Amino acid sequence: MMQDLRYALRQLRRTPAFTVTAVLTLALGIGANTAIFTVFHEVLLRSLPVQMPGELVQLSYIGSNMGRINIFGGDGTDYFSYPMYQDLRDKSTVFSGMLSDTEAQVGAVWKNQPELVNAELVSGNYFDVLGVNAAAGRTLLPSDDRVKEGSPVVVLSYDYWKTRFALSPAVLNESILINGHPFVIVGVAASGFHSAINGFKPKLFFPMMMEAQVMPGQDKLADRRFVWLTVVARLKPGVSLATAQAAMTPLWKSLRAEELTSITRGSAKFREEFVAKSSMILKENSKGFSPLRDDLKTPLMILMGMVLLLAAMTCVNLTSLLLVRAAARGREFAVRYALGAARGRVMRQMLIEGLLLGTLGGGLGLLIAPMAASILVRRISGSENDALYSVAPGGVVLWFNIALSLGISLLFSMAPAWQMMKPSLNEALRQQSASTLGGAQRFRRTAIAIQIGLSVLLLSGAGLFVRTLHKLKAQNMGIATDHLLGFAIDPSLSGYSAKESLGVQNGVRSALAGLPGTKWVGGTTDPVLSGNQERRSLQIEGYSAPQGEDVAVEAPHITPGYMEALGIPLIAGRDLSEADGVNTQKVALVNQNFATKYFGSPQKALGHYIATGGPATKLDIQIIGVVGDSKHRGVREGVVSTVYLAFAQYPDLSGLQFYVRTLQTPEMAENNVRAALHGLDSKLVVDSMKTMDEQIDDSVSNERMIALLAVSFALVALLTTAVGLYGVLAYATAQRTREIGIRMALGAQRMAVVRLVLLDMAKVALIGIAVALPVSVLMARWLRSQLFEVQPFDPLTLIGCVVVTAVMVMAAAALPARRAASVEPTKALRTE
Amino acid sequence: MIEMKNLERSYRTGHTETWVLRRINLTIREGEFVTVMGPSGAGKSSLLNVLAMLDDQWRGEFYFADHGVHAMNRKQRAELARRRIGMVFQSYHLLDDLTVAENIDLPLSYKDIPKSERQALVADTLDRFNIVGKKDLFPSQLSGGQQQLVGIARAVIHKPDLLLADEPTGNLHSEQAKEIMQLFRALNEQGTTVVQVTHSETNAEYGTRTIELRDGWLYRDTAGLEANVAEVKA
Ligand SMILES: Nc1ncnc2c1ncn2[C@@H]1O[C@H](COP(=O)(O)OP(=O)(O)O)[C@@H](O)[C@H]1O
Ligand SMILES: [Mg+2]
Repeated sequence: MMQDLRYALRQLRRTPAFTVTAVLTLALGIGANTAIFTVFHEVLLRSLPVQMPGELVQLSYIGSNMGRINIFGGDGTDYFSYPMYQDLRDKSTVFSGMLSDTEAQVGAVWKNQPELVNAELVSGNYFDVLGVNAAAGRTLLPSDDRVKEGSPVVVLSYDYWKTRFALSPAVLNESILINGHPFVIVGVAASGFHSAINGFKPKLFFPMMMEAQVMPGQDKLADRRFVWLTVVARLKPGVSLATAQAAMTPLWKSLRAEELTSITRGSAKFREEFVAKSSMILKENSKGFSPLRDDLKTPLMILMGMVLLLAAMTCVNLTSLLLVRAAARGREFAVRYALGAARGRVMRQMLIEGLLLGTLGGGLGLLIAPMAASILVRRISGSENDALYSVAPGGVVLWFNIALSLGISLLFSMAPAWQMMKPSLNEALRQQSASTLGGAQRFRRTAIAIQIGLSVLLLSGAGLFVRTLHKLKAQNMGIATDHLLGFAIDPSLSGYSAKESLGVQNGVRSALAGLPGTKWVGGTTDPVLSGNQERRSLQIEGYSAPQGEDVAVEAPHITPGYMEALGIPLIAGRDLSEADGVNTQKVALVNQNFATKYFGSPQKALGHYIATGGPATKLDIQIIGVVGDSKHRGVREGVVSTVYLAFAQYPDLSGLQFYVRTLQTPEMAENNVRAALHGLDSKLVVDSMKTMDEQIDDSVSNERMIALLAVSFALVALLTTAVGLYGVLAYATAQRTREIGIRMALGAQRMAVVRLVLLDMAKVALIGIAVALPVSVLMARWLRSQLFEVQPFDPLTLIGCVVVTAVMVMAAAALPARRAASVEPTKALRTE
Repeated sequence: MIEMKNLERSYRTGHTETWVLRRINLTIREGEFVTVMGPSGAGKSSLLNVLAMLDDQWRGEFYFADHGVHAMNRKQRAELARRRIGMVFQSYHLLDDLTVAENIDLPLSYKDIPKSERQALVADTLDRFNIVGKKDLFPSQLSGGQQQLVGIARAVIHKPDLLLADEPTGNLHSEQAKEIMQLFRALNEQGTTVVQVTHSETNAEYGTRTIELRDGWLYRDTAGLEANVAEVKA
C-alpha cells in the first residue's frame, strides 16, 4: 500500500503539468463551490443558535395597515406596535413565550471613547424565550422590563465583549454611557449568539422599557399606531404551526376590532374589511427574521446555480484530463497486464492516484474557500464595519465539499481504470502508439464540447450582469456625484436634547463650511441612494385626491446649502435660506416631478400651500421653489415626487446626513472633516463617512457582487476549458504524429495539416456553442429580476460570448496546431 | 533522371555532429531499378529520405529531372515530390482509421483532381492489384503482405516517375516478398524508375544495379563498375 502511494506520488511528480492542472482545476472548483455554499448556508439555511429553533414562529398578518405609521418601509405587515405586542403576548394560549425586538443604533462612550454601535431593543423575556444563556453575568430579565425607564441595564454581545473589553470579567457592573445616559453592564450573551434577527449583529441589548434613552426622541410604547417591533413566539411543545395560527385568529380579530375604534376616518368598506379581511399569519422562524435574506435570496440562488455549473465543468474537465493521461499510459498498463499484474492491482493504483489528486485539490480548495467567502460577505455587508455572516465553512458544508472532492476524484480515476479493463491486450501491445481507445477519443471530444458549452453559459450570464451593472452606473442620478462626501451626525446619540440639536447641527455646518477644501455643505434627514425613504401623507392646495388614493411623497428635511452641495439645480422660485426658521412662515421646495404632476408646471406651483398629515390638516407650508429631479432611494428606482421641508422649522428633529462638496478629492477631505468635527465637539460621533461614488457602489452592491462573481466564474471556466482543450488537443496531436507524417509523405501540405487540427476543434466548438446559446437565452429568463435595462436575449452579450469563446478555442488550439505543422515526416516515420 | 553531387547529411546531437551521408555522387537514369544495400545504420534510409524530398537538411547538389532541388524551397520540393515520387515503407504506414480504398485515395486527395476521376483511378488501381474485394476493409483486417500491397498501390496510384521503397519486405516472409518483388519488376518494366533498400541478396537480384553504403560512404556501385569498364573499353 505504501509502495503504491509512493509510486503514485512519483507518477504525479513525473507529469507536473498534468498534476498542477488537475489540482488547480479541482481547487478552483471546490474552492468556489465551498465559498458560495458557505454563504448560501449561512444566509439561507442555517438555524438560529438557540434552543429548539424549530419551535419559533414569527408573527405577521394580512389586512390593511392604512392609518399606521411604520418606520421601516417594506413589508409593514411584519411589524407591530408595543401595545399590540402586549395584547398578543398576554392573551394568546398556544405559545410558551413571545418576544419582541427592534434594531437600533446608539452612541456608546466607554473610557471617554465615543463609538457608534448597533444595538437591539428587546422585551425582557427575549433571552428566556430564545433559550440563550449568559456567558458572564446575567442576561436581561422580565424584571428589567417592567417600569418605564426603570432599569438602565445593558447586556453585551459576546463578540463585543471580546473585541472591545478583551473578555474581561471586570466590566460587569461597570457603567457605560449610552446616548449620554449611564447604563450598567449586567452580563454577556452566549458566544455564537448574535440576534433573533438573522444577519444582524448587535453589540448591545437593551430592555424595551429604556426606549426613550436608546432611541432618543422616540416615545412610542403606548402608541397603537406606531408599528415598529418584530414579534417572535415559541410554540408550546406539540402545538403545530397550523393549530397555533387557527387558535390565534379569533384573538387577532378581536384586537383588530378594538383597534378600529381608535381609527376615526375611512370609508364604510374600509372599516368593514379592516376586521373581516384581516387574519394572523405565523411564519416558521427557525432561521430568524431577515429582510436582508429576502434581498440576497435570488442573487445567492443565481450564484449557487453558476457555481454548480462550474462544478459540473470541473468534473468534465478532470475526467478528460485523466482519460488523456490514462490513454497516454495505455501501453504501460498493457505491459503490466501482460506481465501478469492483477487487474485489481492496476485499478487500485489508479484509485490511489485519483485520491491523491482529490486530497491535494480539495485541500487547496478548502483553504481558499474562507478567503473567497469573506470577500463575498464583505460585499454583502456593504459599508458595515463588521462582517454580518461568519465564513468558516463549518459542519455540513465542510463535509459536503470534502466528500465532493474525494468523490469526484475517485469517480474520475475509476473512469479511465474502467476503460483500461476493456481493450483486448494484444491490440494495445501490437499498436506502435497507444491510440487504443477510439471510444475515449470520442468521449474527449464530447467533454470538450460540454466544457465549451458550459463556458458559454457562464460567459453569457456574466455578460448580462456586467451590462446590467454598466447600465446602472450610467444612470443619470440627477445629482453631481463626484467630489461629494457624506456622513451622519446625530447629537441625540451624544446626550444632547432635541432642543439643543439644532444649535449643534448649525455649528457643525458652519465649521464644515469654514474648511478650506469645502465648496458647499448641506444636510438632510433622509440620505440619498441608500435605500432610505421618508414618505409622508400630503395635502395639496387645490388638489383633491380621487377616492382611495393617499397622496404620499418623499419628504426629507434639509438645511440651506443642500441643493448646491448635491448639485441639484433650482428651476423656479428661491432656495431655502438661513432666515427660514421656527418663527417664520413654514416653507418647502418641491421637485419638478411634483410640480408638474400637481400643478402642471414649476412656475404654477410657486406660492401654493401644502401640509403633511391627514385631510383635515391646515395647509400651512408654502412652496417657495422648484428644484430638479433626482433619484432618491436607489439607482434602480425612478424619480418620485418630493417635497423638501426646512430642517430648522421642526425643532424635534436631531440627526442629519451631511453632504460636503469638496475641492480636492473627497477621500482627501475625510481627515480634515473628522479633525474639524473633533475640534468642534469631541462628543459627536461621525457615522458611515463615505463618498457619493462609494455610496452608489454600495447601492448597487448586489449587482456588483453578482457581476464580479459571474465574471470570475466565467473566467475560471474559460481558463479550465482552455487548459482542458489544450491538453486533449496536444495529446491527440502527439498521437497523430505518425498519421501527420504519413500524410505529409504522401503530399499533404503543412497548412492542410494545421487546417485538419483546427477544423477538428472548430467543429467541436461549434457544436458546443450551438447547443449552449439557446440554453443560455432560456436560462437568462431566471435572471430577469436581477437585470436592469437588459433583456435576457441580448444580442450584444451573445455575440461577445461567441467571439470570446472562439478566440479562446483558437488560442488553445494554436500551439498543438503549430506543433502538428512542424512534424518532421522523416522523424515521424522512423521505425525503431 | 537523378544526379547527386557531393551530397552530405549530418545529425547534430548535443555538441557532436554525426555524419550519415558523406560526399555522395550518384547518378540514376530513367528506367533503372536500383537496390541500395549496406549494414544497419549505414545511411540507406537517410539517402531515401533525401530522394523522397522529405528531408531538407542536406548540403550539396541534387538534380531531379532537370530541376535543381538544392535551389528549391520546401514548398516547391513538396510539390515536385507530390507529382512525381511514390514511397513504400517497411511498416506500411497505412492510416488505421481509413479503409483500403480511402488509403489508396490519399495521395490523390492532395491534388486538384476531380472526384469522378479519382474514383476511376482508385477503382483501376484496386483492380490492377487484385484487391477489389478488400476495398472496404481496414488495414488491421489484412495480412502483412496484403497491407504492403495496399501500400504499394497507394505509392503508384498517381503514376509517379520514381518509386522509392525502404525495406518493403522487411516484415514479410519470403513467399510474400517474392510477390512484391515481381510487382516491382513489372512496374519497372512499365517505365517506373525504382530505388529500393533491402538486406536480401535475393531481392537485389530483381534489380538492374546495386549500390552499397557503409558509414555514409558510397562504397560500391555495380553501375560504376560497368561505367569504368566502358570507359576502359573506349
Ligand atoms: N533523427 C535522427 N537523429 C539522430 N540521428 C539519426 C536520426 N535518424 C538517423 N540517425 C542516425 O543516422 C544513421 C543512419 O541512419 P539510417 O539512415 O536510418 O540507417 P539505415 O537505414 O541504413 O539503417 C544512424 O546512425 C542513425 O542512428
Ligand atoms: Mg533504415
